[in-house]
Amino acid sequence: MNKSFRILATPYQIWLMLLVFVPLLAMIIISFTNLTSEVPLNEVSFTLANFLILGETSTLVAFKNSLVYASLSTIICFVLGYFIAYKIKTSRFNNKFIVLTIVILPMWSNLILRAEALMNVMSENNIIKSLIGFSILGNTAGTGFAVLFGLVFTYMPFMILPIYTTLEKIDPALEEAALDLGLTPFKKFWKVVFPLSFRGVVSGSIMVFLPTLAGFAIPKIISRGQIIFIGNIIDTKFMYTSYDQGALLAVLILVFILGSILLLTRFDKEGETLL
Amino acid sequence: MHVKQILSRGPQVEKKPLIELVNVTKTYDEENVVNDLSLTIYENEFITLLGPSGCGKTTTLRMIAGFIQPDEGKIIINGKIFNDLPPYARPIHTVFQRYALFPHLNVLENVAFGLRNRSYESLEKFFGRDVLIEEAKKVSMDKEPSKHLVNKIINRKIEAMAKEALALVKLTGFENRKTDMLSGGQQQRVALARALVDKPQILLLDEPLAALDLKLRQAMQYELKEMQKKLGITFVFVTHDQEEAMTMSDRIVVMKDGVIQQEGSPKSIYNEPVNRYVANFIGETNIIPGIYVKKDLVHFLGTDFPCTGYTFANKEKVDVVIRPEDWDVVPLDKAKVVGEVTFSLFKGVHNEYDVKVKNTTLLVHTYESYEVGQPIGLTIDPYEIHMMKVETDEQVI
Repeated sequence: MNKSFRILATPYQIWLMLLVFVPLLAMIIISFTNLTSEVPLNEVSFTLANFLILGETSTLVAFKNSLVYASLSTIICFVLGYFIAYKIKTSRFNNKFIVLTIVILPMWSNLILRAEALMNVMSENNIIKSLIGFSILGNTAGTGFAVLFGLVFTYMPFMILPIYTTLEKIDPALEEAALDLGLTPFKKFWKVVFPLSFRGVVSGSIMVFLPTLAGFAIPKIISRGQIIFIGNIIDTKFMYTSYDQGALLAVLILVFILGSILLLTRFDKEGETLL
Repeated sequence: MHVKQILSRGPQVEKKPLIELVNVTKTYDEENVVNDLSLTIYENEFITLLGPSGCGKTTTLRMIAGFIQPDEGKIIINGKIFNDLPPYARPIHTVFQRYALFPHLNVLENVAFGLRNRSYESLEKFFGRDVLIEEAKKVSMDKEPSKHLVNKIINRKIEAMAKEALALVKLTGFENRKTDMLSGGQQQRVALARALVDKPQILLLDEPLAALDLKLRQAMQYELKEMQKKLGITFVFVTHDQEEAMTMSDRIVVMKDGVIQQEGSPKSIYNEPVNRYVANFIGETNIIPGIYVKKDLVHFLGTDFPCTGYTFANKEKVDVVIRPEDWDVVPLDKAKVVGEVTFSLFKGVHNEYDVKVKNTTLLVHTYESYEVGQPIGLTIDPYEIHMMKVETDEQVI
């Protein structure tokens, strides 16, 4: 039994090695070299010169933007997402699966397409304006608000689902026990329900924070290039074949990701809230 | 034991009613789970609601706890109508079937949970304002102790109470354990300590022993009974296990389909079941059709037996109830009825026999040994013969 499982796992292990582990390693190594398309391969050498870009204003601003927007969208997603997840959990609606499907429905269409559509809705002349004559979001594209709106809109399901999963796993008898021991429903929520769903909050936060931190498509499209994230700089660096600098910035993001995963394992050892 | 002795025990009049259920009805999906149920529970009583699953016993318990509201009728506690009072405002704690311990808290935090989350005002009232101020003055040495200091003293008192409760359930030394590091029996005790820590007036227990193994269950039965006597708290216990009910209860309420079939002391329910359902549910028994010939004489198994303590119309059909251990096994010449042993089982203390008399098979418990096929002589004392009215529409379970 065990042996056949091991054999079946081999193809994936090889795939993982060749297409994930080796490129990652290559990326880390490249970040310490001067590899660009302008340098002949036999002249590539190790250098720490790339680290100078970390002090450049453009990099710092992009990092600040990434961190600020990722944090803000995580907080907004948490507040709204927890509320929605809790509402779904406590609703008497029989088929909660349908509600959850509606929540994740937008994820079934392409991310770029959604960002483009949102950008259109936020432009001065947009489809809603043509249809009904006015638009609340009209003419906001390019602003920080628009980017934040786009990020929250896109990543909300990643917050709702893990929180809903942990809420659903809480034994109803625990809530009854809290009421029985004299806690008001409000106190019951803060002393029993919230602590027990905290793992879901951590999972959800990481699943919102990481892609918003590292992403580049949504800010690029919705801000029309006005607001630069670190992902956009990496994108540009690779586009203009500055592999060395691009790799260094990518490694930096990798460090953030690893840190977050370590944080996650502290709260959710079995990873049961991850999808 | 004599029937008359048992009857004379009756309910004691000086007892003070604590919980009164008056014509309580609860309907789910047009089915009456609890049907027009009236029951009075007295102070300092160990009462058991007994019945198979779906008989409405748990629903009744949950209505007392306040988790569900009755559709009709009144729930009166301490003379006040409690129908719409939420669970957290009732002087009642529950021990849940699967314990419901908080997994994010350790043992001590679990036990102290209720007290620690009370408001300052209610804690001040609970411990007594004067007592708190007194103690605070001793520490602070000044006249008006700060709220911070009083809080500190309250917290110390809560911890002391939690430790005391843990000592009561014999779990001293487990304070800092995680609840998932405890065995089922230990979790059960934590749940008990948590419910008893602030000495509620009423403790509800929803099949709390169901998940324990036999040995542990028996030990817990005695401990629960002892605890109830010691603390003077009213215990309302729900179970489907008649033995459990017998061992612990002062009073048993047998339920079926949301209706009380019989209530009374374990002895009276065991010896004088009011109908077939109760007789069958409470232990093994023989139910034999008979005819009440005249006063103190009943005819069954083809013979007249002297009986005592029952009054029916002459020649009325009755169901005779005889517990297997009440048969007297005697030499054949002294026997009222003679039968043949068709099945024998050694049960340790006694032997269990199926005895065929005419076309009826009787269950007999005795210390004597017989082989299958041997004739056996049986007789019975008049006071061991119990009779019930024949219920025509009753299904046999």
